[in-house]
Amino acid sequence: MRFRFQKPWASPLFPTSRRDFLLTAAILLCAILLCFFLQNAGVIEGFAPPVFVLAVLLISRLTSGYLYGLIAVLLGVICVNFVFTYPYWAFSLSLAGYPLTFFTLLMVSLITCTLTAQAKRQARLLAENEREKMRANLLRSVSHDIRTPLTSIVGSASALLENPGLSQEEQQALLRSTREEAQWLIQVVENLLSITRMGDEQASITKEPEAAEEVLEAAARKFRRRFPQVTVTVSVPEELLLVPMDPILVEQVLANLLENAAVHGRASHIALSLEKTSSRARFSVRDDGGGIPKSQLPGLFDGRLKPRQGPGGDGKRNMGLGLSVCRAIVRAHGGSIEARSREQGAEILFFLPLSA
Amino acid sequence: MTIKEKILVAEDEKNIAQFIAAVLNGQGYETVLARSGGETLSMISSHCPDLVILDLGLPDMDGLDVLARLRSWSSLPVVVVSARSHERDKVTALDAGADDYLTKPFGTAELLARVRTAIRHTRTASGNDEIAREGTCTVGELVIDYNRHQVLIRGENARLTLSEFRIVALLGKHIGKVLTYDTIIRELWGPRAGGGNQILRVNMANIRRKIEKNPAEPEYLFTEVGVGYRLSDGE
Repeated sequence: MRFRFQKPWASPLFPTSRRDFLLTAAILLCAILLCFFLQNAGVIEGFAPPVFVLAVLLISRLTSGYLYGLIAVLLGVICVNFVFTYPYWAFSLSLAGYPLTFFTLLMVSLITCTLTAQAKRQARLLAENEREKMRANLLRSVSHDIRTPLTSIVGSASALLENPGLSQEEQQALLRSTREEAQWLIQVVENLLSITRMGDEQASITKEPEAAEEVLEAAARKFRRRFPQVTVTVSVPEELLLVPMDPILVEQVLANLLENAAVHGRASHIALSLEKTSSRARFSVRDDGGGIPKSQLPGLFDGRLKPRQGPGGDGKRNMGLGLSVCRAIVRAHGGSIEARSREQGAEILFFLPLSA
Repeated sequence: MTIKEKILVAEDEKNIAQFIAAVLNGQGYETVLARSGGETLSMISSHCPDLVILDLGLPDMDGLDVLARLRSWSSLPVVVVSARSHERDKVTALDAGADDYLTKPFGTAELLARVRTAIRHTRTASGNDEIAREGTCTVGELVIDYNRHQVLIRGENARLTLSEFRIVALLGKHIGKVLTYDTIIRELWGPRAGGGNQILRVNMANIRRKIEKNPAEPEYLFTEVGVGYRLSDGE
């Protein structure tokens, strides 16, 4: 998780950017061409100021900061005065409308720039709020996901140190649970890293066309190392499927889904598969475990899921974090994720678009 | 008395150094510990270890600098250990001359496998003594024949194209070791080859389809997502 606070100097008054520069140049060029056209068409006087008012308005609205608006004002005044007002190709400071033109353009630019900046600030605040909410949710579930296993690790270690008389089996059991809990913590940390990697805004992941089968293979290989008692089969289409993605993040999605199937679903067999639909790649993780109760299907990916109680679930862990991270990753790729309950076990499907 | 392989563990976290040393000693290796980059470099010249396990986060200097200094005069195998998990860091370390990379947290089995692979590479100059001796490289039912420029799988010619053969041949020369995408691309298509990794992905997909029983569950060619490829050394 990245905690970035808004700095007061984060949005400078005079930022420069290539895009804004090109936009300004294009709009001014259009205005000048339009004026030449009107001039040649025989319109005699008074057409230039409104054309440039419009140009300045557009530039101030579409660029960020005040810089480009002010440049447009200056160029606009020069054009109006120098080129399109009698006497042509000469400055005339005595021209009656000159101060008025300048003043109008300047005010249009300043007001529009201010309004634009305000609108942007508000949108940012809204997004910031949204993110704060997600962070709060995450922090809540994380503190639960971390405290529980830590308690168990500290407890087991103390029990081993303070009770030298424990039987071999009891010692083994304590050590095994310590390792399991630590491994669970590793997954929690991996998920937090994924969130950091996605950054604050959804659009900030870097996607490259990757061989989807390699990601499936790597995820399955790592999973087998950790859960050798669970069999995983992987099937991919005959034709190589290149999917624009951040492969590390997609691997994390698969790792979470596999782990959920093994830990929460208590599956003994998991089928990973990849298929191509018309415009998307379809990833499926299907298991033969305890399945997902109907009541939990809606809101499964919201990250607010309470640990399951009773038969079928081990009741001690929140599986919400992993699934909400899955959804965040898939959404950041422009894809979608859904869960289905089957007669036996569960199936989670996610889709990633094939075009970048 | 047998001569033990000596491993230098450069790690400033006492607990981790202790655990690594315990695991290695348990497997019959001799270990020496270093706590800083400077100590690491001086101990390498005085102890002449067979392998270095190098933590990138040493207190006095960056592990990558230690690696760069070491590489200026020695090709001693180095397995880098680090808590930096971004794949960019792995790629940087591998391209800087590390033989392998372990991300914290790692398991003991993984550590030992990497150590064994890296030590095997030191025994011969080319990294793989079967290639030097017989001109072939064998893993399970896969045989890379460097003289005839062909790959046999379960006794049959896999009919790889030239590019495909060169990729497998390169991985075979560094068997068990991750080769980064850039390394492979540079070796095959020259340092100025552009066009991203796609051509490599396509070639690898073709190779997998030709030599693996199920390309989705490979036995020989493994992907390290975001980093590169590794030819299994049968472990």
